[in-house]
Amino acid sequence: MIRDITIGQYYATESIIHKLDPRVKVVCTFAYIISLFCFNQLSGYIIAALFFWCITKLSKVPFKFIVRGIKPILFMLVFTALLNLFWTSGEHILIKYGVITITAEGVKRTIFMALRLVFLIIGSSLMTLATTPNQLTDAIEKLLRPLNKLKVPVHEVAMMMSIALRFIPILVEETDKIMKAQLARGADFESGNIFHRIKSMAPIIIPLFVSAARRATDLALAMDARCYNGGEGRTKMKPLKYKKQDIIAYLIMLLYITVIIIAGKYLPF
Amino acid sequence: MKPFINAKGLVHEYSRRDEEGNVTGINRALDGIDIEVKAGGFIAVLGANGSGKSTFAKHLNALLVPTEGTLYVDGMDTSEQKNNLPIRRTAGMVFQNPDNQIISNVVEEDVGFGPENMGVPTEEIWRRVEESLKSVGMYEYRKDSPNHLSGGQKQRIAIAGIMAMKPKCIVLDEPTAMLDPSGRKAVIKTVKELNKKENITIILITHYMEEVTGADYVYVMSEGQVKMKGTPRQVFARSEELAKYRLMVPEVTKIALGLSKKGINIPKDILYPEELTDILLKIKSGVL
Repeated sequence: MIRDITIGQYYATESIIHKLDPRVKVVCTFAYIISLFCFNQLSGYIIAALFFWCITKLSKVPFKFIVRGIKPILFMLVFTALLNLFWTSGEHILIKYGVITITAEGVKRTIFMALRLVFLIIGSSLMTLATTPNQLTDAIEKLLRPLNKLKVPVHEVAMMMSIALRFIPILVEETDKIMKAQLARGADFESGNIFHRIKSMAPIIIPLFVSAARRATDLALAMDARCYNGGEGRTKMKPLKYKKQDIIAYLIMLLYITVIIIAGKYLPF
Repeated sequence: MKPFINAKGLVHEYSRRDEEGNVTGINRALDGIDIEVKAGGFIAVLGANGSGKSTFAKHLNALLVPTEGTLYVDGMDTSEQKNNLPIRRTAGMVFQNPDNQIISNVVEEDVGFGPENMGVPTEEIWRRVEESLKSVGMYEYRKDSPNHLSGGQKQRIAIAGIMAMKPKCIVLDEPTAMLDPSGRKAVIKTVKELNKKENITIILITHYMEEVTGADYVYVMSEGQVKMKGTPRQVFARSEELAKYRLMVPEVTKIALGLSKKGINIPKDILYPEELTDILLKIKSGVL
């Protein structure tokens, strides 16, 4: 399960989406996520789904890669869904059994909430699959540059994010290795109650932290050796410049948002 | 001619501290090192674990500064902080663990990291990235993620990342320790080619004796001191002394030494398998 996290896993291919300026992708992903909360009826979801499907097709990223991002949050998804299901009050009661009440409104809200979460996750998954982490942090760095004036260390934060993303797969692999090593020595991660199981994670977490700290020291040395000296005086191998396609992408996004808002206001279902 | 790297009486001490940060003891990792390296040379520093060889490597890049003594890299004193960046531009460094020195998720972006830091203009970065990836034979992987490459390939990427900074010298701190035999061969071959074709000074720090056969000069370190020095042939001929420093001569040299002990007239300083075969054939046919 731990291997399935897609965030930070770049899917290398040539597509229009891959070629877009990363700033466009970041802004549009945010806009898309916000747009998910701008409507509350079926037609909105259909439009959001269609739009997402089109972008996915354009990006040439296989659908199963995107869906993989949902698996790790499945638990959270089910949990919020259940909360919504049981705790939404409404007029049309479907089932009433003791303290449990399920209303029609609750069912509707549950489905919509779950859908929203799914779209949210696959939306951001698609962005990370179609953008290299370095581009992503470049974009964030450039978008947040105004904060520099408020003494926010934008470049440093962006750098840290990009390194974190780079090390996710490595640390995942390492966790896997440690787990197997502990299993081979008779560790048991599966049985017992929840507290017992949390306790049994310690032999995984501790070596993982130790090794992460060691990696961090090594990496810091390697960065020093390669003349890394903060953001000042740095040039870019891939500088960000808006091209025609990026403007078009913004316009398409704007169109989508308009459609979603209008649909939310005027469509009856 | 002035030596490119010049270490005189180099001492480095690590202080051991207890939990409150009080100094409880001092470890002398380097104890009076004198090493001179000519520009364009290929130098190997051999030593077992804990011999101080990695500490020495870190001095060459100004990642550590001498406690006593002096170290000049291309005429620059490493103990002066203002020289840090120029030294790091002159002497690039490749580390042991290939995973922990690759910064980006895409090969070409990682190779471009050094030049970006140095403020090289964009077009020039692209030219350098292409050039250095070609020189290590990894150009076709430029769009890949380093996570999908083997250890040897990753290490060559790391070398390319240093090459792109156009250093005069590359220091390799046990670059092959975590690699399999084929990866090890590829990395060493790359290093030798860079030395010959691009005339880059190479300082190879290692404990694999096989890797130093191509070096111009070998230093053997133990307990923070240079215990032996000479050409690979001169050093390998003294296998008993090497064993004292927990180093093993290459298999071929060992065979030749064993044969010579048995009374066969064979040189003690054989480095390559082909050399041994040649001599044995000559002995068999009665030439020697």
